[in-house]
Amino acid sequence: MYFFFNLVRYTAIKILISSIGIIFFLSSFQALAGDAEAGKVRYNKTCINCHGPAGKGAASYPKISGKEVPYITDKLKTYRAGTKIGPNSGLMIMMAKPLTDEEIANVSAYLKDAKYDVNN
Amino acid sequence: MKVLSKVFTVIVSAMLLTATSVYADGHKSKGMNVPKIGSMVVMSGLENPWDMTFTADGSMFYTEKCKGLSVKTSSGKINKLYGMKDSKGYKNSGNDLFCSGQAGMLGVELDPNFKKNRVLYLYSTSTKYHGSGCKTNFEKCDGNIVMKFKVSKDLTKISGRTDIVKDIQYKPFESNQPFGGPGAHNGGRMAFGPDGYLYVGTGDRHRGICGQDNTLLCSVVLRIDGNGKGHPKNKVKGDKRIYTYGHRNVQGLDFRPSDGQLFTAEHGPWHNDEITALVNGGNGGWDPKEKTAGRGACPDQYCGYEPNQMEGMTPAVRAAYTPMSDTRFKDLMPPAWNNNGYSQGTGSAAFLKGGNWGIYEGRFATGIMGIGFGGTPGGMRIDIVDLAKDGKSVKSVIHMPVGVSKRFRGLEMGPDNALYATTDEGEIYKVSAQ
Repeated sequence: MYFFFNLVRYTAIKILISSIGIIFFLSSFQALAGDAEAGKVRYNKTCINCHGPAGKGAASYPKISGKEVPYITDKLKTYRAGTKIGPNSGLMIMMAKPLTDEEIANVSAYLKDAKYDVNN
Repeated sequence: MKVLSKVFTVIVSAMLLTATSVYADGHKSKGMNVPKIGSMVVMSGLENPWDMTFTADGSMFYTEKCKGLSVKTSSGKINKLYGMKDSKGYKNSGNDLFCSGQAGMLGVELDPNFKKNRVLYLYSTSTKYHGSGCKTNFEKCDGNIVMKFKVSKDLTKISGRTDIVKDIQYKPFESNQPFGGPGAHNGGRMAFGPDGYLYVGTGDRHRGICGQDNTLLCSVVLRIDGNGKGHPKNKVKGDKRIYTYGHRNVQGLDFRPSDGQLFTAEHGPWHNDEITALVNGGNGGWDPKEKTAGRGACPDQYCGYEPNQMEGMTPAVRAAYTPMSDTRFKDLMPPAWNNNGYSQGTGSAAFLKGGNWGIYEGRFATGIMGIGFGGTPGGMRIDIVDLAKDGKSVKSVIHMPVGVSKRFRGLEMGPDNALYATTDEGEIYKVSAQ
């Protein structure tokens, strides 16, 4: 009897811990995934001036659409930290400095599947 | 008495009616002819289209910065005429032509007598004349050229390349500047003047001495004949091909139809985009040299973005440190417009021609690309600038209701009196007025 009681208690604690873990995991996953719609709004605020609509690239500024989320996230966080990686680092450091983690996640999510439409 | 009173009333009424109709007619005839403006995409999916030029029948030559020169004939057929090194699908190509950063195949212009002589001029970056130079950023580097070709009557090929200018300066390596990659500031716009001479805009290629040095072809506007020889009346002391000097990066260049006055539109360094009326021998006032005008040493000897070049700051503070138009110079050509002290990427310009433009006919359409830093609002528009007759001020500036917001790189009037615009996004727009 005592054995069964302990087993039930142990299982309940295990389920509780797992549930908390899953909740944390899911919420962190959501933060990583970002909100593409919010990312589009943020992108159009400043990034579009150089990288063009939907990150298609313009003039000597590279195409950044279609990149995986970790790639853009890493680049933006690197620039935000003030690290130089290429000839336009001065510009990118300046543009990335005010970005929050959430904004970086959102912009990264938006750029992954952003498609250029000549009419928009 | 009553009869007299009635007669008087009739006369006064008639006068009032007459006066009213005169007013009404007068008002109608004085109404402003504001055209209805609309735009449509005529080409899309291009790669950095940069410049265009038209034949009288509407065939359009256009450049793509890293690909080459093509023509869209008046019947709609596209012929790829002259490619850069490694470009595919072109009838001919130049193995010395390349692109890097802002540099590549830029301006294209037809000879005023094109119908008879079939001559076309093309501006591009080239490795052909590097010679023993171009080993560092701090020496002569002949890397931009102007070529001359003959175009076949059926517009399917160009031939007989002759390089008429071989020594426009080029930036070969990265430097410690915000837009510091190789290939910065090449100018590249060309236009034929009413005098039959070819005017060619160049840039400072991020070299501090370029602004006020008149022995090198950088930061200058050239006035040359079809063989590359300077106009005999060019007044600048130094290289006899130079018409004006002291420019930052001339990408907007056109002649006012009413009087033949040449204007430039230039992109400022985080302050003061400018429109300027040029005079023979004049100085644009750009002098980014270090240890000059109260400045100390600057990164890679270039003060063009100083002070504090990697941080946003008030444009006026930068303007005071390294002005676009430095009033130290007695031969300064003062700008007519400075974009309220902002730099938003002004890079091309064309005078609006044709009665269909109504009150805007003769005004200066100016393409603005973008770049919003440190609180500067982004550009991505075309402005219509009403320049004063003396070219030293503006009467008004409005945003052209194009209907789209793009990085407008090149503007050119077509033979149909429509304004054509290349965009960095890869399109050519036709902007019409009715």
